[in-house]
Amino acid sequence: MADKTNHDGNLERFMNQLGDSVLALSDGNIRAEVSEAGADPDGEAERTRTVLREALKRLENVNKHLSNFGHTINSNGWHRGRSGYHNACATCGSFVSFIPATGEMRGEALDGRCPRRDECTVRRREASR
Amino acid sequence: MGHLFSLIETTPPSPQIEPLEPTLLPPSSINASSKSALLVEGNESLLSCFRQLLEKAGYAVRLAPDTEEGLRLFRECGPFNVVLINYYVPEKKGTGINCLIPQIHGVRLAAVIRDMNPSQGIIIVALDYQCASDVPRPAEVAQIPVLIETGNGQLRSLLEKIEVDRAIKGLTSSELLQLQLFAKFRIRGLGRAARGRDWEDLLEEALYRTLIGAEDTQNGRHWNRRVSFVQHLKGAILSIASVWKRQFKEESTYLMSELLFHDAEGQDYSPIDNVASSSSPADQRLIEKKEEDRVLGLFNDDSEALQLLRGLMEGLRKTEIMSRYGLEEKKYAAALRRIRLKVLSQRNNGSRG
Repeated sequence: MADKTNHDGNLERFMNQLGDSVLALSDGNIRAEVSEAGADPDGEAERTRTVLREALKRLENVNKHLSNFGHTINSNGWHRGRSGYHNACATCGSFVSFIPATGEMRGEALDGRCPRRDECTVRRREASR
Repeated sequence: MGHLFSLIETTPPSPQIEPLEPTLLPPSSINASSKSALLVEGNESLLSCFRQLLEKAGYAVRLAPDTEEGLRLFRECGPFNVVLINYYVPEKKGTGINCLIPQIHGVRLAAVIRDMNPSQGIIIVALDYQCASDVPRPAEVAQIPVLIETGNGQLRSLLEKIEVDRAIKGLTSSELLQLQLFAKFRIRGLGRAARGRDWEDLLEEALYRTLIGAEDTQNGRHWNRRVSFVQHLKGAILSIASVWKRQFKEESTYLMSELLFHDAEGQDYSPIDNVASSSSPADQRLIEKKEEDRVLGLFNDDSEALQLLRGLMEGLRKTEIMSRYGLEEKKYAAALRRIRLKVLSQRNNGSRG
């Protein structure tokens, strides 16, 4: 007969509690646990740093590409869609998206220089005089 | 721009600048209350504008009107959280005999500072250029980001990147391990809602949402510096896991072949009959129950761990579990450790997640 007990979220609660308990571990204890679990603590720590750095590098690459084309991208304007992040150039409206897992970029903003950039630069130069 | 090209090409390398020993530099700080910036800008209106933007972003700003003063301040007060240098900043004001950098302008000062301290965050301001790729730079500073926008957006984005980069470099190995394990347990807690994503995806997503800096929790989580970077990432991970879980519940999609079924008389039942409700679908509950039993089965020979595990699954607090099962603090901690180890070992022998 089927177990009719409500198991909704039991496992999630348990795993979340385990996650929280990790944050309270001392430096020595967490290294010892990782080691006892069969992994190399230094290797795993650097692997985690690499995950963060690679993510940083991917987004930097996207911004650099757009800046090289003279597009104006509002950092607050990124929206998370189903397949990745989307944004548009504030000057010309060209669309751009990138897929976090691969860093792949798509969109018309990558086709070439911002077509309305000239007007902005002239206005800016005049304003600074 | 011809004069700039010729200046870069004809200016000799900077052997006359003796690099400082990195160890002589004061320690970097990523503490929110002590964010510092060096602004090297010759144009008074731009200097005032950038000073305001930086101060608004929480930086204590030191000002230099020329590269000579910029280098002096960097030597005496550096490193800074960020050094902002105008591409066109003059080499010096006046005609000092002991000028340390007689021929360099902004981009060369950037190269000198990078040489002195390769990890110093630098931004070159080149507002007269249409595209960052148009800004002539020697190869050694080609990787330094260029600000071409007068608005706050690009500057804010570059500052955020520099701060996050520093924070990542500053994470200790135990903090990194904490983040990894925290993300691993969260992913396991998501079960099918993780949709094949692992702890690396969760951590990456937390960083992206930090960097895009949006103010709302759906699209981004700006790091406000009132908490440590680890605490911030933990919060982002929690938020993302919760969004993934919600999306899974709202958007679960199935193949028609998974949904259609027949009774003994060959009658098809339509997926339309499956009306969404607030409780989990039966198949999902069954999968969760099976996984729950599998985890409980790991501790059949460890009664204390089993008691603790049941308590955690019920959502009891530590004190409640200790009181219900008569566990002392030490025994509780030891049992929790055994549980973590066993669950982790299972994953280390298996997949990435």
